[in-house]
Amino acid sequence: MIGTRPAFVKILYSLEEAAYYMLRSIKPKGRTILLYLCIPVVWYVFSVFIPLITAMFYSLFEWKGGPQKSFIGIENYISLIKDFSFWEAFSHNIYLVILCIIGQIGVAFVFVLMINSRLVKLKGIHRTFGFFPSTVSAVSVGFIWMMIYDYKRGILNWILEITGHADQTKVWLNEPGLVMSLVSIPLVWQFIGYYMVILLSAISSVDSEIFEVAELDGASAFQRAIYIVLPLIKNTLLVCVTLCVAGNMKAFDHIYTMTEGGPGTSSMVMAMYGYKVSFAQMNMGYGSAISVGIFILSLIVIGGMQKALNSLMKGKGVE
Amino acid sequence: MKKKLVSMLLCTTMVVSLLVGCGSKTEEAAPAEEAATEEAAPAEEAATEEAAPAEEAAAGLAYAGELSIMHFSTSEESEGNGGSDGFRTMIAEWKSANPGVTLNETVLANDEYKTQIATLAAAGDLPDVFLLQGMNTKAWAEQGIVLDMTDIIAKSPYAADYKQNFFTPFTDDAGKVYALPALTGGTCTVVVYDKQMWKDAGYDTFPTKWEDVVAAKEKFAADGIDTIAFGNGGKWQANSCLMSTVGNLYTGTDWFTSIIGKGGAKFTDEAFVNSLKFAQDAFASGVFNADFNAITNEDAREYYIAGDAAAFIGGNWDVSYIMATLLEADETKYNNIGFATFPNPADATAATNLQNIGMGFGIAINPKVAEDPDKLAAAVDLAYKLTGADFSNYVAENYALSGVTAVADVDLSGFDQITQDFYNYSYVDTTPCEIYDSYVNSAVWDVFNTGLQNMLNGDMDPETLAADTQAAYEANY
Repeated sequence: MIGTRPAFVKILYSLEEAAYYMLRSIKPKGRTILLYLCIPVVWYVFSVFIPLITAMFYSLFEWKGGPQKSFIGIENYISLIKDFSFWEAFSHNIYLVILCIIGQIGVAFVFVLMINSRLVKLKGIHRTFGFFPSTVSAVSVGFIWMMIYDYKRGILNWILEITGHADQTKVWLNEPGLVMSLVSIPLVWQFIGYYMVILLSAISSVDSEIFEVAELDGASAFQRAIYIVLPLIKNTLLVCVTLCVAGNMKAFDHIYTMTEGGPGTSSMVMAMYGYKVSFAQMNMGYGSAISVGIFILSLIVIGGMQKALNSLMKGKGVE
Repeated sequence: MKKKLVSMLLCTTMVVSLLVGCGSKTEEAAPAEEAATEEAAPAEEAATEEAAPAEEAAAGLAYAGELSIMHFSTSEESEGNGGSDGFRTMIAEWKSANPGVTLNETVLANDEYKTQIATLAAAGDLPDVFLLQGMNTKAWAEQGIVLDMTDIIAKSPYAADYKQNFFTPFTDDAGKVYALPALTGGTCTVVVYDKQMWKDAGYDTFPTKWEDVVAAKEKFAADGIDTIAFGNGGKWQANSCLMSTVGNLYTGTDWFTSIIGKGGAKFTDEAFVNSLKFAQDAFASGVFNADFNAITNEDAREYYIAGDAAAFIGGNWDVSYIMATLLEADETKYNNIGFATFPNPADATAATNLQNIGMGFGIAINPKVAEDPDKLAAAVDLAYKLTGADFSNYVAENYALSGVTAVADVDLSGFDQITQDFYNYSYVDTTPCEIYDSYVNSAVWDVFNTGLQNMLNGDMDPETLAADTQAAYEANY
């Protein structure tokens, strides 16, 4: 997050200043602040920290459910490194991340530019309806798209048939080569609106005079998007990418509803593999090792993505 | 000062409620709302039951206090499902007969039940009485989290009437038994076919040879109808409702007994690989609906009900749904229902007329209960009640089904022809064989089921699947 530091520091300074004046006027006791802080800290420790530590602990055991465990050191991790299924699932996650960054944030960015244009009326309605799918539960979204992909009664095959492409109809969710793309479409569809709202708020905080001046100077819409909007909302974009990567590294519910990872393991993602090993195969020790593996890989991918985006942005003349 | 006091108070309450919330979650792990809604239903049922069977059971119970039970006979499930209905009725009767015992029920849908009970087992925190799945028996017995019930079963008032073969999934290598088979014995593989549709295609009954089914396909395909509907979207269906029977047709029933007892049989044995090859060819032949791997058995049976398929392969749970639905919607089609065993492939000569039947779950008791002999007596009494003559009579009289306790002279005359046919298919006219995934363990079947889905798609060859399964078997069993 090197690039975000100046803005961040600035905010910190202004916050500190405000806090100083506030403290002078109200001045709660140190103990009160500590007590208030307790709530989120205890919550965080219980819901994130303790499960993580216990998973790390259990990952060192051979534990097939039940009270008996035997300590095997890092053997689970050695098997994890050699586990083809795990790395296949990881590659599916990466594929999902790439599709979703392009599909969710990319499309959301285009939509935002369109909504922001002076030609578009009823902006509030666009914003609300765009956001609407994000509020639907993942299982419902999964079922809706299963109906779309259904072989006999699905809308996709129906459209193909009435447009004279009956030979193109397929059992969509049973195509090993296509299934990962097909299950990521609902994910993309659902969350475009979510990123749209974030990006809209970022753009609305930019002074509109900048755009007017650029337009007067003869910059095309495309140039304005690349050279003005993009650099100015860079920090927000970084947050979006981080959210998107983190969300897709732990993708589970949509895909579980639609295919349960099938056919075979063609749409298996890491979280689902961990779930299957832990609860279907009752191999809790190895399942814990998989969870720790997901955690580490997610950190690496998120970090890498931020670095990559930062260096990409540098080329555009922004620090 | 006042403000400070209030804020401190608020903080403490929040932290405490947070801690309490977390604590109860790990201890009970029972979804509160489910438990609450379930509570009401059996209570009213109890009121309507007469007290006659209550007296004998109540006589010896010295225990007064709480007893927890976890099961998956939800009120939704019990509608039309004889086993669930009988189970719930028995619980209600037992409750009213033993007012001194507070029976805490946790009722979950089957899929959630399996996950939940596995989690509780891992945490060593099982309820007092629960349903043990056959394939978990050996692993859980080794862990010491299920009570050895050998003596309890031997001393049962119904011991003489127990059908012994249903106990095999719950027996370990040393011959100790860990559960009383519960619910009803139901077939896992039955061909449900529409007699009229097959008659129109030129077959008086469902073919007994697979090649005749393949020949019939041409006739049905001309009308745009699938010959057989099947759904393997959940991955377990092709194992439980197809391979368990087809495999046994090729290998004979001794092969799987040897797999269970680690007697030297291998998944890579030629006969079993041949059964896999047959399955792959069968699904490639176009006899089944093209989307068999993308839909579940729930969807596939709708194809049959809607007349989009001339036959359907599934388990007893599908049959009860099909029968209930057609009885209401289309009586003519209901009366045309026929039942048949899976037809023999030409090269499968080890057995004929097979169907895999069994009882997948049994009533087991947490060993911790045995610390209090009175409580154990109550748990055992409940287990007898849920699996004994009362239960068997109830499901026989109301549903023409059978439990682990044999009842003499089941009078079927009160049932219609289709129900009688299904009773005869399940218990009289066919040769039973074992349900694969009632045995061995989930680690092996998970590998097998996942690969099987690939293999049926034609993306994996039968030899590779057999080798992968054998490797999982050697590593995990």
